[in-house]
Amino acid sequence: MNPQGTQTITFDDKIVRYFLLAMIFWAAAALSAGLLAALQLAYWPLNMNLEWITFGRLRPLHTNAAIFAFAGNAIFAGIYHSSQRLLKARMFNDILSKLHFWGWQAIILAAAITLPLGYSQAKEYAELEWPLDIAITVVWVIFAVNFFGTIARRRERHLYVALWFYIATIVTVAVLHIVNSIEIPVSLTQSYPVWVGIQDALIQWWYGHNAVAFFLTTPFLGLMYYYVPKAANRPVYSYRLSIIHFWALVFIYIWAGPHHLLYTSMPDWAQTVGMVFSIMLWAPSWGGMINGLLTLRGAWHLLRTEPVIKFFVAAITFYGMATFEGPLLSIKSVSALGHYTDWIVGHVHGGALGWNGMLSFGMAYFLVPQLWKTDRLSKKWMEWHFWLALLGVILYYVSMVSAGITQGLMWQALNPEGKLVYPDFVETVMRIVPLYWVRAFAGLLYLSGFVLMVVNIVRAIRHQPVQDGTIQVAATVSRSPNEDAGHRRLEGLATIFTVLTLIAVAVASMISIFPILNLKQYVSYEKTVEPWSPLELAGRDIYVKEGCYVCHSQQIRQLPFDVLRFGAASTIEESMWDRPFQWGSKRTGPDLARVGKKYPHLWHYRHMIDPRAVTEKSIMPAYPWLVAKDTDFIGLRKKLSVLKSLGTPYPDDTVANADIVAQKEAAVIARELEAQGAPQGLEKKEIVALIAYLQALGQKATPNAGERP
Amino acid sequence: MSSQDNDQLTDHEYDGIREYDNPLPNWWLMTFFGTVIFAFIYWLHYEVGGGPSLKAELNQAMLALQAHKQQAVVKELSEADLETMLKDPQMAAAGALAFTGKCAACHGPELQGGIGPNLTDAFWLHGKGTREDIMHTIQKGVPDKGMPPWESMLSQNEILSLTALIVSKQDTNPAGAKPPQGEKVR
Repeated sequence: MNPQGTQTITFDDKIVRYFLLAMIFWAAAALSAGLLAALQLAYWPLNMNLEWITFGRLRPLHTNAAIFAFAGNAIFAGIYHSSQRLLKARMFNDILSKLHFWGWQAIILAAAITLPLGYSQAKEYAELEWPLDIAITVVWVIFAVNFFGTIARRRERHLYVALWFYIATIVTVAVLHIVNSIEIPVSLTQSYPVWVGIQDALIQWWYGHNAVAFFLTTPFLGLMYYYVPKAANRPVYSYRLSIIHFWALVFIYIWAGPHHLLYTSMPDWAQTVGMVFSIMLWAPSWGGMINGLLTLRGAWHLLRTEPVIKFFVAAITFYGMATFEGPLLSIKSVSALGHYTDWIVGHVHGGALGWNGMLSFGMAYFLVPQLWKTDRLSKKWMEWHFWLALLGVILYYVSMVSAGITQGLMWQALNPEGKLVYPDFVETVMRIVPLYWVRAFAGLLYLSGFVLMVVNIVRAIRHQPVQDGTIQVAATVSRSPNEDAGHRRLEGLATIFTVLTLIAVAVASMISIFPILNLKQYVSYEKTVEPWSPLELAGRDIYVKEGCYVCHSQQIRQLPFDVLRFGAASTIEESMWDRPFQWGSKRTGPDLARVGKKYPHLWHYRHMIDPRAVTEKSIMPAYPWLVAKDTDFIGLRKKLSVLKSLGTPYPDDTVANADIVAQKEAAVIARELEAQGAPQGLEKKEIVALIAYLQALGQKATPNAGERP
Repeated sequence: MSSQDNDQLTDHEYDGIREYDNPLPNWWLMTFFGTVIFAFIYWLHYEVGGGPSLKAELNQAMLALQAHKQQAVVKELSEADLETMLKDPQMAAAGALAFTGKCAACHGPELQGGIGPNLTDAFWLHGKGTREDIMHTIQKGVPDKGMPPWESMLSQNEILSLTALIVSKQDTNPAGAKPPQGEKVR
């Protein structure tokens, strides 16, 4: 019976349980895929000559699973649980909640099928093809309606800081995803982005960087602001700090994307903007760490007895480390050393395993006894999980930073003659392979801890009844903002708060992206760059499909040791027809921007079938299926016509006869291959198209006698 | 425990969570202002004040390397110079080591040819098989045919020793030799 004038609300905790279990399920997939990928780098035969799990396709599967499946479901579990309590309202609509849950799981499942099949846009963390891009947009809108609907029905006048971060997440991820995914379909399983060359690079890394910011940072800060004070039973350290660091973070983060492109052919101003905003991001990020850690003042004794607090403290500490390291790596001269190396891999795993992972695990342990009637979670097992996970992250981080700095220094080393000390790329790979074993072992430790969690939670909840939270609220609540002033007033005005957040990210985005939309002002007309020929394009799509960008860059930086190793620095013009751009972000193998004509066709033929045949110590997987599979010639007509409609200057008859032109090109290469000693009859095979593309890399620019158009 | 007892609690409460109204830590504020000031000055220097572009910095570094190289460069060696220099059998032995690592993948472990031409017969594609020609081809490569230029990858000594090796292997008739290509010179 309710006292007079009050009513009881039952929260929708079923959906929280669903998301929590989904998080655990997909974490298993993400971590296992990560471990296999790590082992493949240490021991190439584990690619097993299976195209579906070869590193180039497995790595996108791992990153997408970790970010969108593991972290994504963790975020949703936490948001659905905490928002209902912070807003004193049941979720707006149970059907929307279910659609959100099942829609998201369906997308993940589709990703887990399509990525191994090679349906990929080859843009990091945005690999999924256009039908899934649309599905993501729809599900995200469902989530947004459900979330803002709940805010509209709240029985709390003000929005707590956790909700500010949730709002920033929902609004910004929508903007990022939509803008980066503007693409024209070629078929059900392929599309070309509207953005081209440096545009595509800038927008992709504006997206990529802010996916980290608004999918792996802001929502988790929101979760921290709810679960840390809850678990420690302590007030949040500073309300004022919450306000300042929230707005600073939202405004500054969005500019920092170009720090992924330092020393590339990206115009200097964009690189400078990326670097200085990254440096300004240091303090706002640490604002979150301070507020998290200092909330535990007076509760530090819990660190001894409460594993949940251990997980949270470790998570926040890793957040602090990663957000200090990020600005550091964004300094141009540090990036010169660290970019393309495993240092970056170490950095992101410090964030993913340390911050996102530990916070999610802590949250799961906190939630289980609330969502099920159980007191059977074993603290001892939680302790074991914690120490295994901590040791795993530290070992992972140390091994990869050592590998990265070692390899970076080897790439830079010059002898007194001014020549590279380690001109053979594979030599710099061999040096760090032992560290790849250490990293794989670290991953195994982390995964083992996770397995303990699964067993612990399954044992705790099996045969136990579920329980849904309830709360008694006054039937009517005043939500008039008029009694407040300043920011406090804004916290009562959800719509205006959301619009201001949107403006903060949108203005920064527009200022940093707009100039690049007019590509012409950056293109020099001293050289003409031919678009890819039909066969080269077919080969390029194979390069994209196999995920070559995962290990090979196509961007020689404006750095002397890069130029000595790979040739003249890459130019804006050289990628001006590239959809998608393929600059890459990691050099597990050498840069390929100027690999064209460096080796004979037969070298590539033998190399693709068995890389060890030409480079004894290579760790690259073999691609024998390229010799067996036929090139899709007929699809080229559609591909060229889509590219032409986007502005690539193909003559009409080339478009109309794309397949015939390509077949003629293929016949020439197949004959040359045969003359060099390869078997007959390769002209229809994918290997020939890929060789055509590789041989064209860096070869498309010719001096221009004509006038600037 | 005393410090936080003095902290001012706000009247905010959300699902039992309270908030202190602590001031922003000074060191944090100073860090923030410091980075903002640095960012502004850096931007001003490079984007307004005419600081060097990345391209200019690269050109300067490459010129410095070039100057370095010119000091270290060995004079052009004539056929006669080479003949005396390459007499040392140690040279060919050192060349064999470099050959296995860099050249055997295309020219075969016994120089018999494979992807690239046979280096032991009397037929030559580029030049007439003199020491000068061989050295030149190693240095500059034949990019159109897929032979990379090695002068940036190998030291002068390594190139000399490779030349010595190739000369020492003439007419060895290794098993599985690739059929002749190019002009007969002997």
